[in-house]
Amino acid sequence: MRDRALAAIMSALFILLAAGLFYNQILRYGYYSRLSRNNSIRVMPIDGPRGTIFDRAGRPLVTNRLSFDVAIVYQEIGDRRKLARLLNDVLGMSGGEIMEALEKAAARSYGPVVIAADIGKEHALALEEASFDTGGLVIETRAKRDYMYRMFGSHLFGYLGEITADELEALKEYGYRMKDLVGRGGVEKQYERYLRGSDGGTQVEVDSRGRQMRVLGVKEPIAGQDLYLTIDASLQLTADKLLGDHKGAVVVMDPRSGEVLALASHPSFDPNIFIRPDMSEGRLKLLNDKSGRPMSNRAISGVYAPGSVFKIVTASAALENRKISRYSRFFCGGSFRLGNATFDCWKQEGHGWQTITDALMNSCNVYFYNTGKILGVDQLEAYAWLFGFGKSSGIDLPDEVKGIVPGRAWKKARRKGAWYEGETINYAIGQGYLLVTPLQVLDMTAVMANKGSLVRPRIVKRIGTAEVPADTPKAIGLGAGTVREVRDGLFEVINNENGTGKRAKIAGAAIAGKTGTAQNPQGRTHAWFCGFAPFADPKICLVVFLEHGGKGGVEPAEIARGIFEEAKRKGYL
Amino acid sequence: MGGKMIVDNKRRKEFDVILLGIVLIIFLIGILAIYSATQAKNLPRAESYVARQAAWLAIGLVFLVAATKISYQKFIDLSYILYMVNIVLLVLVLVLGHVRLGAQRWFTIGNFAFQPSEFMKLTLVLALAAYVGQRKGAMDTLGSLVVPCIVVFVPFTLVLMQPDLGTALLLVPIFLSIILVGGARLKYIVWMIASGILSAPFFWHALRDYQKQRLLVFINPNIDPLGAGYTIIQSKIAIGSGGLLGKGWLNGTQNQLNFIPERHTDFIFSVIGEEWGFFGALALVLLYYLIIQRAFNIANLTSDRYGKCIATGIAMLLSLQVIINIAMTMGMMPVVGIPLPLVSYGGSSLLATLVAIGLLLNVGMRRSTF
Repeated sequence: MRDRALAAIMSALFILLAAGLFYNQILRYGYYSRLSRNNSIRVMPIDGPRGTIFDRAGRPLVTNRLSFDVAIVYQEIGDRRKLARLLNDVLGMSGGEIMEALEKAAARSYGPVVIAADIGKEHALALEEASFDTGGLVIETRAKRDYMYRMFGSHLFGYLGEITADELEALKEYGYRMKDLVGRGGVEKQYERYLRGSDGGTQVEVDSRGRQMRVLGVKEPIAGQDLYLTIDASLQLTADKLLGDHKGAVVVMDPRSGEVLALASHPSFDPNIFIRPDMSEGRLKLLNDKSGRPMSNRAISGVYAPGSVFKIVTASAALENRKISRYSRFFCGGSFRLGNATFDCWKQEGHGWQTITDALMNSCNVYFYNTGKILGVDQLEAYAWLFGFGKSSGIDLPDEVKGIVPGRAWKKARRKGAWYEGETINYAIGQGYLLVTPLQVLDMTAVMANKGSLVRPRIVKRIGTAEVPADTPKAIGLGAGTVREVRDGLFEVINNENGTGKRAKIAGAAIAGKTGTAQNPQGRTHAWFCGFAPFADPKICLVVFLEHGGKGGVEPAEIARGIFEEAKRKGYL
Repeated sequence: MGGKMIVDNKRRKEFDVILLGIVLIIFLIGILAIYSATQAKNLPRAESYVARQAAWLAIGLVFLVAATKISYQKFIDLSYILYMVNIVLLVLVLVLGHVRLGAQRWFTIGNFAFQPSEFMKLTLVLALAAYVGQRKGAMDTLGSLVVPCIVVFVPFTLVLMQPDLGTALLLVPIFLSIILVGGARLKYIVWMIASGILSAPFFWHALRDYQKQRLLVFINPNIDPLGAGYTIIQSKIAIGSGGLLGKGWLNGTQNQLNFIPERHTDFIFSVIGEEWGFFGALALVLLYYLIIQRAFNIANLTSDRYGKCIATGIAMLLSLQVIINIAMTMGMMPVVGIPLPLVSYGGSSLLATLVAIGLLLNVGMRRSTF
């Protein structure tokens, strides 16, 4: 009985199917036939604009501008000769170019095919007016990304690129379509899901001459969300200008909140060239520049030996472990012997007797060789981790690398060998296997600025109307005495007339810092400067890194001074 | 010895050659449509789609014949194991699927994609039939429905998480029909349907955005003229413009101009409707109807409870897939990812359908020996 009932229900549904076929194919044949014959459904997409990126004060950094594209609907061309003349007059297209454009349009004759992109407003208006005579010409307006500062801040913002086949496969359920632009680095990539607008469009029925008969459906586009960065546009400009033609990176941060005020990496690039179709040559040049690597964000994706700036960690570890005190002294005669090996100080004639304060101020290597020897590799490794090396800082930017914090276990696993004491000696002055990013050095500096607390750097303050909560800095367990000793040393680096970083000094604000000059296998030394101000209650900390830039106390310290001065002018100090 | 001869003769007589013939005709129609749909897509070689589908048919026919050789009682004995294996495969798909964004419903083994949810429909039928058959007449208490409910709920949830709303929802009427035939009280079944409808708002929240979108688009295709709505409108134009006699094979303009996405898989019927017209489309629907009538007949004539449940489940499985898929291409139902059995391009679906038909023939052949 019951199976019969089921069969009857299914039969009824089959009859409904047949009725549906009859309705669509017989009764509505005329209507559908006409729609299909004219191919007369045209879809016109309306872009959902990407969110604007602002700085902390609400000044626009990355916006959208209107661009005008010329498209041809081949089917609807009325007078080919007139059209060709018009394109020649207004856009200066040659006969050959026009032929090519028409061929392109003929391949998809029922829909608009873009033949010239981004033609400028005046040209667009001229064409729009004249298109009544020729038919088949459509001006499409689209929102195009505009990186107003061009070469400045580009690693921070990132750029846009066309979606790849693989990404499309993975993302199409989220509304991505072919030719969509997606964020390819920086904030554009990290916050893609917020910045991205969702495209709308209208579906219209047109007659055989392309006139719109009626709108079948409209889907409103939705704009992406705006981003408010922690960046200060004027500090960013200063950082970029001071870096100039150097290879390197500058990062400025408020140590109390981790808010990054400026982040520059050079050589830089102009993100706009990834949007303009006519600039593919420039794109290739950027991507193929192996020595300059302009696309790489050196502040977070480059790893380097830290050199003497790492002495902050060595000093903290030794003080904390009571291996040295403020009264401990070591004699520097210009070199240090361990077995048969000799380790040099940078000052050949030696620094004489040194306390921790002197040793930081003079950046005396021999003092730290001695310290490293009595401290041992395990403590150096432990404190390097504690200060944030060897792991990502958690900054909201893509492609951050972790660097290397070596140790006994690391060496066994990676180099298949035992740890040598000579390697500890080098470790203590930031040389050897140790590799760090400029941002990690900044984070280490912030620990001293914050009197013992590590902070997570961040770039985005607000998404749309929602504030992004900041983490509070976390104490890493340094005693007050340790912090005081190291900070006093860092103060002398800038303010003592023999200090290695005295070129960073400015009038009206007490600065502390550390220089570094790191040897590396690739050539000239890397130059570092890190510092913070005001000394008593720091509001700004920064790192300056110059790849193969010579001595840390020279150019990096001068760049730092320029930034401190600008920060003072802007009321940060 | 003599007794066995009689049984064998009887079996041969009962092997439904006509049903198998109809299956092959439908498959042939499908191959023609797949060729038409893929050669228009400017894909490297349309032949490769056809060749693959034919290869799957060959494999499927071997399985079909194999499924008729062993008594279906053996399938019942193995049903829980098959069910468990299939559940494990569904879980695996989910775990591996999380590696990539979006939906993942299949494994790739070499060049072939394997989609466990297609087989879940069949193993669910077997598992439910095993339980209901075993209970004999005692299906009329509420307690006897607890196990079947769990048996359907687990794969339902897993398939929904893939996320494949269409296939998940398809499992429900299959389940209801088997317990109905198995003797569950109508009152309880009505309750279940009612509570299912009442809990719909809860499920609405569990749906992904794009799934909600598809349901909303069904109600009003114009809210998304670029996405799912576009497909429905274009599919309707394709079918409607086919008229009485169609535009002819390889001549469908909607099809040839790339208007319809996924037209060699879920939207294959729009190609058939456009190119073969009302007569062609109606003939295909009739062929399906013949299969399904035979399936219900087998169910009706089978006195054995196991066999009856299997035949009913398979009859429902086939008819619902055909109805949902065709109704969807005509805009009579929301767009859910249900393939047209035997016609849509795709190995897993074809294989599962052929095995299901093998089982159906099996029940038809052996019913009188009980």
